[in-house]
Amino acid sequence: MIEEIRAKAADLLRSGEVKCFIGYERASDGLTARPFFAYSADEADRLIFDGTCVHNLARYLPDMRGKRVGILAKPCDSRSINVLIREGQVEREEVYIVGVVCDGVYRTTWGKPSRELQPRCLYCSKRTPVVYDYLVGQPPPAPESQHPASISEVEALERKPAAERWEFWRSHFARCIRCNACRQICPACYCPQCFSDQLDPLWTGIRIGLPQNWVWNVGRALHLAGRCIDCEECQRACPMGIPLAILNRKLASRVKELFGFEAGMDPRAPFPFATFEKEEEIL
Amino acid sequence: MARIGVFICHCGHNIAGVIDVGRVVEAAKRMPGVAYAGDYIYCCSDPGQAFIRQAIKENRLTRVVVGACSPRMHEKTFQEVLASAGLNPFLLEMANLREHCSWVHSEAKEEATEKAIDLIRMAVAKASRAEPLFAKPIPITKRALVVGGGIAGIQAALDIANAGFEVVLVEREPTIGGKMAKFDKTFPTLDCASCILTPRMVEVAKHPNIRLMTYAEVEEVKGYAGNFEVRIRQKARKVDHSKCTGCGTCWQKCPTKVPSEFDLGLGKRTAIYIPFPQAVPPKPVIDTVNCRYMAYLEFVRSGREGKPPPQCRICEKLCPTGAINWDEEDAIITERFGAIVVATGYDLFDPSQIPQYGYGRLDNVITSLEFERILNASGPTGGRILLKDGREPKRVAIVHCVGSRDLNYNEYCSKVCCMYSMKYAHLIKERIPDAEVYEFYIDVRSAGKGFEEFYNRVLDEGVRFVRGKVAEIFKGKDGLSVRFEDTLTGGRHVLSVDMVILACGLVPQRDAGEVARIFKLSRSPDGFFLEKHPKLDPVNTHADGVFLAGACIGPCDIPDAVARGSAAAAKAIGLLSRDEILSEPMTAIVDISKCSGCMLCEEICPFDAIEPQVVRGKRVARVKEELCKGCGSCAAACRSGAINLRGFTHQQLLAEVEAL
Ligand SMILES: Cc1cc2nc3c(=O)[nH]c(=O)nc-3n(C[C@H](O)[C@H](O)[C@H](O)COP(=O)(O)OP(=O)(O)OC[C@H]3O[C@@H](n4cnc5c(N)ncnc54)[C@H](O)[C@@H]3O)c2cc1C
Ligand code: SF4
Ligand code: SF4
Repeated sequence: MIEEIRAKAADLLRSGEVKCFIGYERASDGLTARPFFAYSADEADRLIFDGTCVHNLARYLPDMRGKRVGILAKPCDSRSINVLIREGQVEREEVYIVGVVCDGVYRTTWGKPSRELQPRCLYCSKRTPVVYDYLVGQPPPAPESQHPASISEVEALERKPAAERWEFWRSHFARCIRCNACRQICPACYCPQCFSDQLDPLWTGIRIGLPQNWVWNVGRALHLAGRCIDCEECQRACPMGIPLAILNRKLASRVKELFGFEAGMDPRAPFPFATFEKEEEIL
Repeated sequence: MARIGVFICHCGHNIAGVIDVGRVVEAAKRMPGVAYAGDYIYCCSDPGQAFIRQAIKENRLTRVVVGACSPRMHEKTFQEVLASAGLNPFLLEMANLREHCSWVHSEAKEEATEKAIDLIRMAVAKASRAEPLFAKPIPITKRALVVGGGIAGIQAALDIANAGFEVVLVEREPTIGGKMAKFDKTFPTLDCASCILTPRMVEVAKHPNIRLMTYAEVEEVKGYAGNFEVRIRQKARKVDHSKCTGCGTCWQKCPTKVPSEFDLGLGKRTAIYIPFPQAVPPKPVIDTVNCRYMAYLEFVRSGREGKPPPQCRICEKLCPTGAINWDEEDAIITERFGAIVVATGYDLFDPSQIPQYGYGRLDNVITSLEFERILNASGPTGGRILLKDGREPKRVAIVHCVGSRDLNYNEYCSKVCCMYSMKYAHLIKERIPDAEVYEFYIDVRSAGKGFEEFYNRVLDEGVRFVRGKVAEIFKGKDGLSVRFEDTLTGGRHVLSVDMVILACGLVPQRDAGEVARIFKLSRSPDGFFLEKHPKLDPVNTHADGVFLAGACIGPCDIPDAVARGSAAAAKAIGLLSRDEILSEPMTAIVDISKCSGCMLCEEICPFDAIEPQVVRGKRVARVKEELCKGCGSCAAACRSGAINLRGFTHQQLLAEVEAL
């Protein structure tokens, strides 16, 4: 698999088809992976792929606009690419997508190996990327989903009384240090100026305090409703361990329930919030 | 720093009877930015307005808050006060102390006063962030589009053209004339329809300001009053009308005969045809579905096996000017107009929906429109009233209100059926003097100039009027039997007749929904197009710059259709005579430094008012201000807050929220 990826990337770089190939290389702990940008065929040898390759590389595509780039895409990354295409942040013709069939990625952290799957992989319904130009690996026979999540964290939380849920989020948001790591890593956050950075109007408030944090966290989640593809990178990046994915997943499931829409599956599907039908259920 | 003036209106007792105005004024004086606060018994009255004007000048106010009634009532009034005091009118903010406060809280005066103070505080906060706004003049395209070439559309086109404006008249059939062209005589004066209509049709064709586009349809309308962009499909005629002289050789010689739509299937036409002898333009089109050569071409294209149809091409061989053009395809033409008149008429109610009347099943049960063709000298029988077997009918029944005034079909009265039914009785009596004619009616509705007189005349001619609904029409011993109830004398009877004419009602055109969608029209519950106001604005619509004429608004006779045509023309002329219109100043605006170019706003805007543009290599959104209606959908959708709505900016609204 790795050899095939390296050979394909080298080909693309050698032929000039792409200027840069975005993939993974081994980090200096010898254990985890880190994003890697190969600019020449020689460098392609450093590429790797295995269960440590957690990052959603689609994050880097908007910054590469105007250049032809190649990218290694797991199923989740491929959905992000679709979101970016539909939102005009990536031109389909400018990216060469090397899709890779994925069995899930691990909770490996710096210096600490793990064979436990990332929570997102338990919810993931795809093993084959939804968009690619070249596929590495054998697409699995249907059904694609491999680890049906037993009872989700969302449901578990929903079963609790409102006061407890409130306390759950209050205590989490109270710890937010507004470092913006969640935003910086999110492949769907590309606004030139985030609402939370604006001073006039002052949407969020400058102070790092509960009300301000609350506005930020809820605002962030709402801006991703119908757009988040559940790569869970925000939660992985959060240094305070705030379970952001629960919020994201809840919104995604509501969007699916109400509009039958799943982000990133089809770049041409009309966006639910921008469509209007005469007969619509009042929410 | 803004110098804000606050004016609290008593509205007589309406506000002051509940709210302690004095306390509100005192509280307002202490609000940030407020340089003056006062109250007046009726702010909207002349002295009230003068009071505000004077206070603005004396206190050098730069923003004004009026705590009074709903802005829907008096926003304009107070905006004008600001303008007359030298302030931009959009620096006004209204707090609704009446509908939102005193009227709904008359039982709780104390709390109402507290709420009034809060409402004023919010309005003051919003006003402090208000910016002057300016309407922009937009030049007008001084041309009109008239859609539908019935009598109403013809009248509208002529009136607008005579006022000196260019008109394009689009008609979907190969000729103009509409329903009226099918008639023989018209009630109540019995003028020959074509004698009065044909000159008008020719006038349209000859008018230097009118461009006639028959066999064409409007596909899309974009833009706004004053500047519409309209996409028109000119259907392929396969005949080059610039070469054709209308000599008629082709349609006399074409071997393909098919039922004529114009004669409602009672007569035949050829595959290359004009619908009727006085058609305008008098030049043919080829019906590509039935033409033999087209069938041959289709056969070859499909690559099917077997014997191909004949390669007829007789018209092409005989045409002296070489006008036949097999290569002609549908053409799409895009043009700009300032005003649009929709005059697309009506359809006849389809009586086969009433099975007990036997239409389509029984011979000699015919619709009124079919009877018009039978009466017409250029119709299938040359104007002789004949049964299917060629005999003259001796007893004729005319059934009123078919599909009208009947909750099973249409509740409304179709207005013209009584009159045209009596026209038929008269014409039958005139042409077959010994014929017996029976009118089965519910009520005779003959309101109109000369109508009642015509009714009396027909009564005198010996026409039998039977008050009652016909229950059933069936095959009798010889001819047809009509079962009916006579509600005047009581009792059920059966009458034997030779012919039954169904006075079918007028219904919305089959594709009314599609036409409404294209022109952004609304429809009333009966399905006809909705006028802006049924009494005071009968030819205007809710789509600015689009006017209605003729029977597409609802059933009407020819004089009404003509009057509506002229009325719509007057409205269109009124719009076109202006050089420019003022844009709505409260529009959305994009801060391109914050815009990511995701174009969600473009998808969301219900008025197609947003498009992408490239600024310094970066794609960003642009608001087409002329189209923007200021609904604010885009401003709500934009995640980065790149879109602001002038007059309701994020800054203003957040200031309001924070003041609370
Ligand atoms: C049987 C019968 C007898 C009548 N007799 C009389 C009478 O004696 N005296 C009298 O005063 N009134 C009479 N009327 C009423 C008369 O027919 C109407 O008042 C009149 O025809 C209305 O004219 P109009 O131009 O509004 O509609 P129409 O005559 O229906 O004209 C509409 C035109 O628009 C065209 N059109 C439709 N849709 C489109 C489109 N999407 N694009 C382009 N073109 C389109 C149609 O092809 C048609 O040419 C009678 C009605 C009936 C049914
Ligand atoms: S929604 Fe906002 S960011 Fe997206 S294109 Fe429109 S203005 Fe730009
Ligand atoms: S305010 Fe409404 S009409 Fe104007 S551009 Fe935005 S969405 Fe369109």
